[in-house]
Amino acid sequence: MFYLVGLGLGDAKDITVKGLEVVKRAKRVYLEAYTSILTVGKEALEKYYGREIILADRDMVEQSSDELMADSDTEDVAFLVVGDPLGATTHTDLILRAVEKGIQYRIIHNASIMNAIGCCGLQLYNFGEAVSIVFWTDDWRPDSFYDKIAVNRERGMHTLCLLDIKMKEQSIENLMKGRKIYEPPRFMPVSLAAEQLLKIVEKKAAEEKTDKNALAADTVCVGLARVGAEDQKIVAGTLKQLTSVNLGGPLHSLVIPGHMHPLEMDMLRLFALDDSVKELLTSSQ
Amino acid sequence: MVNFTVDQIRGIMDKKKNIRNMSVIAHVDHGKSTLTDSLVSKAGIIASSRAGETRFTDTRKDEQERCITIKSTAISLYYELDPADMQYIKQDYDQENNAFLINLIDSPGHVDFSSEVTAALRVTDGALVVVDCVSGVCVQTETVLRQAISERIRPVLLMNKMDLALLTLQLEEEDLYQTFQRIIENVNVIVGTYAEDEGPMGDIAVDPKIGTVGFGSGLHGWAFTLKDFAKLYSSKFKMPEEKLMKRLWGDQFYHAGEKKWLKEQRDGALRGFTQYILKPIYQIFNTAMKKTKEETLALVDKLGIKLTSEDRELQDKPLLKTIMRKWLPAGDAMLQMIVIHLPSPVTAQKYRMELLYEGPHDDPCGVGIKTCDPKGEVMMYISKMVPTSDKGRFYAFGRVFSGTVQTGQKVRIMGPNYTPGKKEDLYEKSIQRTILMMGRYTEAIEDVPCGNICGLVGVDQYLVKGGTISTYKEAHNMKVMKFSVSPVVRVAVECKDPQHLPKLVEGLKRLAKSDPMVQCIIEESGEHIIAGAGELHLEICLKDLEEDHAGIPIKVSDPVVSYRETVSEESSICCLSKSPNKHNRIFMKAAPLPDGLAEAIDKGDITPRQDLKERGRYLVDNFDFDATEARKIWCFGPEGTGPNLLIDCTKAVQYLNEIKDSVVAGFQWASKEGVLCEENMRGARFNIQDVTLHADAIHRGGGQIIPTARRVLYASMLTAAPRMLEPIYLVEIMCPETVQGGIYGCLTRRRGHVFDNQQIGGTPQFAVKAYLPVNESFGFTADLRSHTGGQAFPQCVFDHWQILPGDPFTEGSKPYEVVQGIRKRKGLRDTIPPLENYMDKL
Repeated sequence: MFYLVGLGLGDAKDITVKGLEVVKRAKRVYLEAYTSILTVGKEALEKYYGREIILADRDMVEQSSDELMADSDTEDVAFLVVGDPLGATTHTDLILRAVEKGIQYRIIHNASIMNAIGCCGLQLYNFGEAVSIVFWTDDWRPDSFYDKIAVNRERGMHTLCLLDIKMKEQSIENLMKGRKIYEPPRFMPVSLAAEQLLKIVEKKAAEEKTDKNALAADTVCVGLARVGAEDQKIVAGTLKQLTSVNLGGPLHSLVIPGHMHPLEMDMLRLFALDDSVKELLTSSQ
Repeated sequence: MVNFTVDQIRGIMDKKKNIRNMSVIAHVDHGKSTLTDSLVSKAGIIASSRAGETRFTDTRKDEQERCITIKSTAISLYYELDPADMQYIKQDYDQENNAFLINLIDSPGHVDFSSEVTAALRVTDGALVVVDCVSGVCVQTETVLRQAISERIRPVLLMNKMDLALLTLQLEEEDLYQTFQRIIENVNVIVGTYAEDEGPMGDIAVDPKIGTVGFGSGLHGWAFTLKDFAKLYSSKFKMPEEKLMKRLWGDQFYHAGEKKWLKEQRDGALRGFTQYILKPIYQIFNTAMKKTKEETLALVDKLGIKLTSEDRELQDKPLLKTIMRKWLPAGDAMLQMIVIHLPSPVTAQKYRMELLYEGPHDDPCGVGIKTCDPKGEVMMYISKMVPTSDKGRFYAFGRVFSGTVQTGQKVRIMGPNYTPGKKEDLYEKSIQRTILMMGRYTEAIEDVPCGNICGLVGVDQYLVKGGTISTYKEAHNMKVMKFSVSPVVRVAVECKDPQHLPKLVEGLKRLAKSDPMVQCIIEESGEHIIAGAGELHLEICLKDLEEDHAGIPIKVSDPVVSYRETVSEESSICCLSKSPNKHNRIFMKAAPLPDGLAEAIDKGDITPRQDLKERGRYLVDNFDFDATEARKIWCFGPEGTGPNLLIDCTKAVQYLNEIKDSVVAGFQWASKEGVLCEENMRGARFNIQDVTLHADAIHRGGGQIIPTARRVLYASMLTAAPRMLEPIYLVEIMCPETVQGGIYGCLTRRRGHVFDNQQIGGTPQFAVKAYLPVNESFGFTADLRSHTGGQAFPQCVFDHWQILPGDPFTEGSKPYEVVQGIRKRKGLRDTIPPLENYMDKL
């Protein structure tokens, strides 16, 4: 049996009881380590589970599934994924490959940022399509996520923005030369995401493509850090304000609210950066 | 330096209307350097009597031994034009000032060193094209002339080696006239073919009647234009010089009895050129060579040629030489022609700017170049690096197009990869010294205003081969030079003693600097590769490397040629590759480019920077492109400029633009290292048929898309009947008829074939033209010599790429062997990767 086990968001103890049982009896335990991270490292997990864990990087998951799933037709193999196995990250391909090989699989769910985001007080029912905001480079500045945010807002829905993480990426030069040299890990903070969004807002304004629902510098947004961990942080502030907040270590997320229910506003006021934000949240009621 | 000091030169440098920057270009052995010496002797740098014997511009020992020019050399000359002749200058000129500064660059004639010619042409505005009147227009004459014209450089022609025609071939007067006439026609055909219709230079065809053609002998040190003779006869015919010149060429016959000029030949009427120009020359030759000395001296006195008493002691040939040189000094005739007919920087930069400057034509640099403004922002183009006596250091040699460069000035040094607004390939440094380059000597000079050629000290470490120097913060680059030859022959080098490796690496760096064309590459395998234009070019480079740049004994591998990979059909199926995360799919097909398109891209008729609509129209009109596709060319490759196209043929794919950069990067990568054996691709187009993308930007980043693009490119290439292309030389062989059998034999053994064989008018020599694969050309010259008793001389110049017949997948075929050989050399697996590696199932 090939188990996809969700680890939850916080630390080693967030694993479900069922998941822990699988981990304890599995022949091999892999940890997918490139789409997300826990607040604790691999060693802490090993210590808590009492098992040796094999790190599975992008190359391994995407290109050597044979190795990953070897013997799983007769034995149990556990594949640990931070959050929920089929949450924000996309391991459907792994399932398709398992089925193709005639291997049985089972999913053990856990909390994902997709549902834990409810902690900010915005109702999960009212979220639209989720988007990722990626690191811009000198000549690669995609802004398609803005369009999706705009569509969500038009329909009065909130948007969860997942912020780029680069765990083990090669530079283009190294990629071409086939050298396995990886850049240091990078995580996008809320401030950078807000900054990039603001740039798009300015660009759209220059092109006069804005409408009343569009994002603006004074739109109240919510920045979140380390959701599910002990030291999780939530702040509500204008897009402009968020460009200068420091929420500490990774991972960060950003929520762009759509039309808000008064109760949702009450919740956001709890996290307001300052009084002006509270006022903004009241005035638009 | 006898006649003038640096201060005097600096004085004339400011008179930009009185400057002529020119290069001397010709086929190998047509006598450029010898002629140049006549000019140098006139300007007073070496004594007049030694002109013709010392090749002043051949500064290297090997150049003097081999009697060929390898590096181009610059010298400045000073000439005072007869004030009466000033009226002949058709461009804007200064009536008061008849003193001219001529910056002359003597360039090599051997095709292997064409890159030196390109570098010389870039910094000059005019060209003295030298043609040997015995062999006529040869392959390299055409190559360099074509280059000159495409850089908007005005040509004048000099018919050289008249002494040979008279003494050795003993041509009749009328025959010689016909020979001249034919050569001039040939030159004008080339000019007509490559010149822009209604271009800003106006009519650039050469014509003896207006004085843009000279005749003479560089070896004997004499030359003339029709103007010289018109001056002589002007009083006799009571006709102004300009009018008389028109009578001295073409079908103009003088009837002595009727005292009339006629348009056709009749009894008693004689051709002006033969009667009044060739006849006296023939007379002097015949008298001096065949008759007694007294008769000769009598004739000399009659013609009013003044000889010293020492001269009168000479016999035969030396006497003839002296007489001719005193009568028709080559320096005067040529300098006059140059000054009158070649453009000044003021004239030339007006129409050259748009070809030279990449930035907006109305920014301070563009305007500075256009108006040749010494007070404007500095714009200088460095065309080559010249080694100094200080080992490992170079003078940066180039032309100031705008502003004034000064010793100690702080400038921006921009390499060819610099793009405005970025920091790459950009340095801000001070110029240590500005210098004048004069053949073997250099002279320090305080500053140099625009329109002049000079050298800079202290910028060499920031540039590899060339670049742009400017003081303007937002300056764009000046266009990089386009070479007519490409480095198709390569060798691997290693040092005999492994300890010397650092010296070798340093030496290779210096070699790359010192030659505008040579490429020094370190392969993945650690091999050091030197790539050059031909065998001779490589030989010289290796010698320089061993003796100068590295100074260590080196081992050299057998030469190998570069190949290209291409496709010969459209892909048999639409290929699909999925990204590693399987969420993105690219569908693509490959197809060959239409005939001639790859060449048009090489030539620069179609470029990545062209206006989209203009390029689209050109492709539709000339290459039957689909109009919508022609406007959706994503990029050229490899290096963003190569002869392969990536075309977006998709319909309504959302967010396609966000992956464009990644696909382009994959394309640059794949077109640089083809699927067969990682050689460059050539002549292929890749059509993106469809793309399916993950909904979220994070799952379609470069890491996902770049390798996928590469894989689908490889898959579409593999399904489109891939072929190998090999480089082909055009070989021109001069030989007598008797040895032709040997030539044909030699060529056939080497897979070559003759396509043209013509007698050179009026001589027993034949010009044989053939195509020969570069791969088979190693040792060809020696082989040919031994089979023809040393009577045949080949000139090989890269001509085109040709498909190597056969399927590279069929064992035993020629391309199979070539692919295997290259894969082995590069340390790749010995079979071409199978299609399954690159293509995914739906």
